[in-house]
Formats: sequence, C-alpha cells, structure tokens
Amino acid sequence: MTPNLHPTAARLALYAGKDLGWWGQWSVQRHVANCSGCQADVDALQNSNAQLCNLAPDLPADVNWTRLSQEMTGNIRVGLAAGECIADFEKSVRPSRPRIAWLSGTVLGCAAIVVVASLWLNLPTRQMDHLISAVGQVRWGRIGSSFRTPATNQDAVVLEANPLAIEVKMNGHGLALMHPSSAGATVSVNMQDSAGVRYVDADSGQVTLNKVYYAQ
Amino acid sequence: MPSKVASGLSACALMAGSLFAGVLPRIDLPKDSPVSFLSADYGESNESARGGAMLLDLHAALSLRNSSARRIRGITMVVTAQDFTPGGKGSVTVTSLDVGPGETFPIRIDLRLLRPLQTGPGVPVLVGLDGVLFDDLQFYGPDKLNSRRTLTVSEWEARRDRQYFKALLASGGPEKLQHEVLASMARQTDRPNVDVQMVRGGRATNFEPERQLQFAFLHLPDSPIEPLEGMARIAGNEARAPRVEVRNRSDRAVRYLEIGWILQDRQGREFLAGAVPAQLNLSPGQKSQILSDTALKFPRTSGQPMEIEGMSGYVSNVEFADGTVWIPNRADLADPRLQKVLGPSAEEQRLLQLYHKRGLKGLVEELKKF
Repeated sequence: MTPNLHPTAARLALYAGKDLGWWGQWSVQRHVANCSGCQADVDALQNSNAQLCNLAPDLPADVNWTRLSQEMTGNIRVGLAAGECIADFEKSVRPSRPRIAWLSGTVLGCAAIVVVASLWLNLPTRQMDHLISAVGQVRWGRIGSSFRTPATNQDAVVLEANPLAIEVKMNGHGLALMHPSSAGATVSVNMQDSAGVRYVDADSGQVTLNKVYYAQ
Repeated sequence: MPSKVASGLSACALMAGSLFAGVLPRIDLPKDSPVSFLSADYGESNESARGGAMLLDLHAALSLRNSSARRIRGITMVVTAQDFTPGGKGSVTVTSLDVGPGETFPIRIDLRLLRPLQTGPGVPVLVGLDGVLFDDLQFYGPDKLNSRRTLTVSEWEARRDRQYFKALLASGGPEKLQHEVLASMARQTDRPNVDVQMVRGGRATNFEPERQLQFAFLHLPDSPIEPLEGMARIAGNEARAPRVEVRNRSDRAVRYLEIGWILQDRQGREFLAGAVPAQLNLSPGQKSQILSDTALKFPRTSGQPMEIEGMSGYVSNVEFADGTVWIPNRADLADPRLQKVLGPSAEEQRLLQLYHKRGLKGLVEELKKF
C-alpha cells in the first residue's frame, strides 16, 4: 500500500483498537510503518483510548455494557428498517402517478365532449357564431394577449359624425366642428379621409359642409 | 406675415370681447387670394378649463369679399388645430354661392377645441384657404383637401337640380314645382339620421362575430363605371374593409370614383353609410379593385341599436382624367331605393330652405336668376 492510498479514518480507528481482522491488521500495519501521518493518527487514537480507560473508574458501576450495546444495535436496526419502509412507500407511489393523470385526462376529455355536444345541440345559432368567432380570434402565437387590438384604442385617430357635430379625436384631445341646427343635417363619410355634416344655415340660407380629416 | 393677415388679427382682437386675444384664430389668406378678409365677429366664444385641458369654444362669423373679377360658386376654408398631434384638421365648405365681384359674403365657423393646458407658443387655430370655385368652373387654391373635386361635383349637382326644378316649373307651373318640393321635404323627414364613428384599420369591437357580406349593386344606366362585385366584413353594428371590383365602361380614362355604400339593418331600414372612394388610373375597358381598411361603426340609428343585415352600392360620382366629372342624373336618383336613402344635393337643400322661408314665390324668383 503506497502512502497515496491511506487507510480510511474508520479503518485506522479499528487498527488502533486491534479490531481489524488478521489480513486487515497486517496491511494497515505495513502502511503505517512507512507513513508518518497515519502513524501520528494511530498514536493519537491509541492515546485517546488509553485516556478513556483511565476514566473507566469514574463511570457508574452498574452500567450493563452488553445491554447498552444491544439497545444501540437495536436502535440502528429500527432506523434501517424505517428507511426501508419509506423507500417502499415512495416506490409504490411513483408508478401510480401516470395512471391518475391518464384518468384525470380521460374524465376531463369526456366532460369537454359532453359540454361541446350540449352547446352544439342547444346553443342558438347566433351565440354559436359568437363563440366560434371569439375562439377564431385567439392568436395562438400570442396566447395570453388573445384578441385583436380594438381599433378604438387611445392612440387611434377617430372621426365621429352625428347631426350635431363632427369631431376628430386622438389622445384625449379633440377638434369638433358644430352647426347651429340639426334639422335637415346630412352626415357623410368618405372612407378615404374624412367625415362631414352638411346643413343649411337658417340665417344666411347658405349650404355649409363641415368636415374633419385624418392627419395628412 | 401678409398684410391681410395682420389686419385680420387686429380686427379679430378688437371684436373679441372677453375672449383672450391669444386664443383667437389666425386667418391666413394668400397674397393673391381672390377673396379678402374684412372682419370677424366672435360672439359668444369663450375658453374654459375642463379637467386637465382647456376647452376653446369658438363661434366665428367671418366676413369675406370677392376681390376677383369672376363670380364665386363655392369656397373651402381649412381649419387647423396647432396643438393637435398629428394634425387635427377640419374644413368649412360653402357651396351654391353666387357672389359677384366686389360683393361680400359670410362664413360661419363653429369650433370646439379640447387642447392640453401646456401648449406651445402661437395661436391654437389657423384658418386658411384651400380653394375657390368660380362660375366658369375654374379653380383657385392649394387644393390640399381635394376641394376642387368637392366644389366641382357640388356645382354640377346644383346645375342639374336647378335645371330639374326649372323644367318642372316650365312643364307644370308653380303647382308641379310645389308638389315636388313637398315630396322632397317629406323624404328628408323620413330619411333616418345616423351617427357614425370611423377608424382606420382593425375593428372597433370584439364582441360580435364577423362575417363577409356581398354587395348588391344598383346599376345606373349611364354610369361610366360598372361595379362588378364586392364584399365587406360586418360585425353587429360595424362594417369594415369594403372591397369592390369595378370596370370602366366609358371611352375615357377615369382618375377618381366614389361608390355610395348603403347598409340595411335587421328591420329592413336602409341608410347611406358613406362613400368608398378610389384614386386610380382606369383606362377604357379596364378593371380595378377598390379597397379600404377603414371601419365604420354606427352607435345607433333613430335612437335604436343597429344590426347590419345587408348592403348595396351604387356609383355616386366619377372624375375623368381630363378633370370633368360624371354625376347621376335625376332619372337615376328617382330609383325608389336611392330616393329613400340619399339626402338632397346641397343646392336642393338650399332651395327647400328658401321655399321654407320665402314660399313658392320666392323659390320661383330664385330659379329665374339662373
């Protein structure tokens, strides 16, 4: 055994107490004879053992070492048995997970089929169109943001026309052209760029056409 | 700054009354303008704070003079809001005018501007000239808002309708004229009023299923453009993205056309939704598609929520490459479906108002002027 392959601390401790077997005792002795570090560890262990023996008279006289040893051994065995029980429990649970998942999936699938069939048979056509349209508008690449952005968002330029006024609105600001009377007012929309209202001014008799435009 | 503008500003400031002169509009006419600015009356105009913004309520009666040697038939003034990004713009067009050289005429601008408290320097509103149409159909102006076409179409409609009423007067006397005037007034009363909201691109609502609807076209016999087929996307009270295929069946190239778009609601009521325009270069016999990415939403019609169920279209006007225009004649407009939904022309509207104020005699006198 080369100095690079030092015995483990437990093996050195057994060697120091002469608790190794014949072959173990011989091989460790061979290494310790050529390794000052391990020799120092063995010396320290043997010193500790000698000190413990010197303290023996101070221990209680009625200690039953044999029984104590049996109890300790028993506790160790109980611990090992408990570990084995837990290991068995985990093993028994792990294989059952896919079965539960499959069962859950099957139940949910059946429920979904029942719901869809019920909707298909009972939902009025109009609501069904609505539902299909809504589902159709989901963008699969952007799940979570779902539907199309409404055109009437805050940033959009909106033109509004009614018999009282026409208005171009954007970012909360607005420019409106009004007319004094809605009687006979004609709303017109040009899909390219403008909305307008035409009316006759009661005072002047003039025909006036007010328009608002998208920015150009 | 042109001298006309300077005089305009001082006149405005003097007549503004309680309105702070800094918010008065600047009236900016070109140096060689055929109309000159005389004065402005701002009456009940005022500006007040509303929340985090200022509300300018402007009521302007401008007085202009025809400083050209020709009679003016129509004029378009452009109104621009300075603080409105990216360029809130409106226009006030007066048609069916008959203003001789040196004569004055009024233009009324009633404007409401909601603008931020923190505004840039300068006046909030600019009033300029976009175009003037004369009786010989010549045009003056920058024409940034296509006023030439608007005023020219209006002038042709005015001539058509005056001719029609004069023909009635000649063939059946004042009684026949009166009968037609009353019928026209009744149609106006029956015509549904609609509110409309227009947005470019996208949809205005997500709550209704969308479907494609085919156009049913009203074919006008002498129209130079034949609509072939078309469709639009409809969702509840919203119509968007109309697409129409047309063919030029005339022997002249066409550079602009408009398709009138008529919608029908669930109750069977029809109304004119708008015009689908196209600027193109369509040679004789050639086909083309007209597309628009705009969405129209109709909050209500006659106070009730609306559901669009059908739609139709017709060619409402065409501009040829040489600048002349085609409009439907009175026989075309006599189609019962068109009669129900189309409003009267600007000139017919003026003549009806004149009848309302001055009676049959006044109307006959007016027709005799032309």
